[in-house]
Amino acid sequence: MLRFLYALVLGLVGVGIVHVTILFMLPAYSVRDVWTRLSTTAQAYETVVLSPSVPGGRVPTPRNPFLKAAACRFDLSEGVLHVRATGRVPFWSMAIYDDRGLNVFSISDRAAAGDDLDVVVASTAQMLALRRELPAEFAQSVFVESEIDQGVALVRLFVPDKTWTAVAGAFLENMRCEPL
Amino acid sequence: MMKTVLPLLLAIAVALGGGAVSVWMMLEEAPAIDALRIGPWTAFPNAGTPQADPYSRARFVREGGIPLGKAEGIAFTATRDSNGQALRRECAYRLSGTLPVSRLWTLYAADLSGMPLPPTGRRAPALHSQMILQEPEGIEITASHYPAPRNWLALSGQGSMQLVLTLFDTPVSTSAGIDQISMPDIIRTGCDA
Repeated sequence: MLRFLYALVLGLVGVGIVHVTILFMLPAYSVRDVWTRLSTTAQAYETVVLSPSVPGGRVPTPRNPFLKAAACRFDLSEGVLHVRATGRVPFWSMAIYDDRGLNVFSISDRAAAGDDLDVVVASTAQMLALRRELPAEFAQSVFVESEIDQGVALVRLFVPDKTWTAVAGAFLENMRCEPL
Repeated sequence: MMKTVLPLLLAIAVALGGGAVSVWMMLEEAPAIDALRIGPWTAFPNAGTPQADPYSRARFVREGGIPLGKAEGIAFTATRDSNGQALRRECAYRLSGTLPVSRLWTLYAADLSGMPLPPTGRRAPALHSQMILQEPEGIEITASHYPAPRNWLALSGQGSMQLVLTLFDTPVSTSAGIDQISMPDIIRTGCDA
């Protein structure tokens, strides 16, 4: 009898250990995050408009009916990331997710010089090099210093009504993610 | 032999079973720890960021998704009205009050999994700050099956629902002055029998 009581106490200690182990292992084994889901549908630096019509239907789409989004994966070890899109939309914002799907950085069009989206994402070392000699095509860019090398850049647009669908669609279609 | 093996098996079974069930219950049933609650509205400013606590992070990972960043905005959801009753699609509600400062905001009705409700004819159950009539004392929105004057959020169908109010480009998401902000009340004005 005492033996079973002892086993029960041991089991309860085990509950705690298993609980914490599962809790911290869940994120590492996730396949539903934006990075993993984008990896299965697109190459790095390929812009994907996040809509339910993407083949396989595996990309996460914005639930908000007034939002449209596009995203691309990047790897800063291949060079600085330059994200560009032109057009007049009422509001855009950009978020950077790391390879676990966590939102590590975000900006809105408030930070931009004009209506266009023109953002440069660079690591600390690349940023130092850029400061020394700024390439001419980055003159209008917003600079973002990133602590992560691999991640997803995701751009969201506000689409007030159906008349804006074409404008927003064109903005996302001409969005380019390029390593430099 | 059996005297040692049986208690050992019991201990292992209790540990694995209890551990799995307790994690599942924490993620499914327990209320979130770092929620921001204002009246009937709830938001998770840290959801999907490295600052989230382990439970929020595990919960977020199970659902996936692309949460708004702090500079983008913050999404509030309400599943109950200001009197604590669950929101129902066949009922009518009046949303009134003031909103925190933001560049723009959107409001839509969704099912409990977060999918927006189907439109009534061509009118989707969704409004944003640039299409509503502004009142001097904040906003006044009627959510119901039946057309209402001024600002109408067109509900349809039956069953439970939630309201999602998203503020874009707002100081609220960076948790500045969070205790002073006010959100609209949700008052039930009637139900279809």
